[in-house]
Amino acid sequence: MTGTLNVVGYGLSAIGPGIGVGLIFAAYINGTARQPEARGILQPIAFLGFALAEALALFGLVLAFIL
Amino acid sequence: MRTLALLSTEGEGFNPPGAEDFELPPLFTIAGFEVTKVTLLVFLSVVLIGAFFYLAARRGALVPGRLQFAGEGAYSFVRNQLGRDVIGSEDFKKFVPFLVTLFFFILVNNVFGIVPFLQFPTMSHIGYPAALAAISFFVYNTVGIRRHGFVNYFKAAMFPPGVPKPVYVILSPIELMTILFTRPLTLAMRLFANMFAGHLLLLVFILGGEYMLHSGGFAAILSPFAFGFGIVLTFFELLVQVLQAYIFTLLSSLYIAGALAEEH
Amino acid sequence: MVRVPMDQQPSSRPPAGPGDAYVIIAYLLSGMVVWGGAGWLLDHWLDTGFFTVIGLVIGAAASVYLVYVRYGRQ
Repeated sequence: MTGTLNVVGYGLSAIGPGIGVGLIFAAYINGTARQPEARGILQPIAFLGFALAEALALFGLVLAFIL
Repeated sequence: MRTLALLSTEGEGFNPPGAEDFELPPLFTIAGFEVTKVTLLVFLSVVLIGAFFYLAARRGALVPGRLQFAGEGAYSFVRNQLGRDVIGSEDFKKFVPFLVTLFFFILVNNVFGIVPFLQFPTMSHIGYPAALAAISFFVYNTVGIRRHGFVNYFKAAMFPPGVPKPVYVILSPIELMTILFTRPLTLAMRLFANMFAGHLLLLVFILGGEYMLHSGGFAAILSPFAFGFGIVLTFFELLVQVLQAYIFTLLSSLYIAGALAEEH
Repeated sequence: MVRVPMDQQPSSRPPAGPGDAYVIIAYLLSGMVVWGGAGWLLDHWLDTGFFTVIGLVIGAAASVYLVYVRYGRQ
């Protein structure tokens, strides 16, 4: 089996952001399901949380490529 | 051709499918251009889409028959969901032909990946998604520059309101890079990577199952699971292919809407 | 048709949908590439080793702030 350890490290580190994004959008779906009028208020918060969690995943991806 | 090679080698280990399985040999040559199966598939998709919409629109009856109903449904889906709801009801009509063509071209070419006897998603050659992304890039930039003027378009994109002045130094290169490079790049890469990986997955399971079947013994007993999972993956691939066509067209439409609106 | 200057036009934001997630990923990626690249260039000229990572972190933080400015405000 050939390859680099970089990508194995990236794969392991992508577990965290994956769970995080899932939790964020689960909360968004729950909030919208309980009160559909809250959708417009929750949406910016959902996108901001998604950006924060995804930043870590992309960080890992970029570092796996350059190191 | 690959399966015959697997059958004929005795005692050799499994050769996992890789990037070389995407290079198809030329079938014949016309005027110095080598025509491969991929080229024929693209031409076939164009003929299919053109014939479908022509036949659907030919009768033009007030009470539609089945073919006209299907054609109208398909066209209205892209026109309403991806055109009117995203771009807005004033300007969307000019872009509907582009969006409809984009969506159905990508959809038919993707679905060719699981149709028997064809079985190759043409979007897994990087040239095709790259060309489509280049067209999208040209369209949304030209629309924005024509609507707002060259300097104003970039000024509105690079300087979002409500940001303290010194932070603009850090934010503006990011915005410029996004609008010029990252958007078309991610459009092409997303479609290409999804189609490439999907086709590779199918190859691994089907060819692996075949190898297991022919190597006899314990592996031959387990090989139906490989084939079964290959069937499951085929349905999953269909979902991914439709989704990727939808996402590509949705993002193109979103970029056009963003270039037109340029809100503050 | 009267041409209104752009800062006085009503803000007509396209409705948010599944496509926005990919736009946010594009922002994050380009932020890291731009400032990571700047850091790498600085490393290349000054023959140091740490500016690339600093540039990456600054780029990630800046692009998260940019996503907040574009998508996180009402």
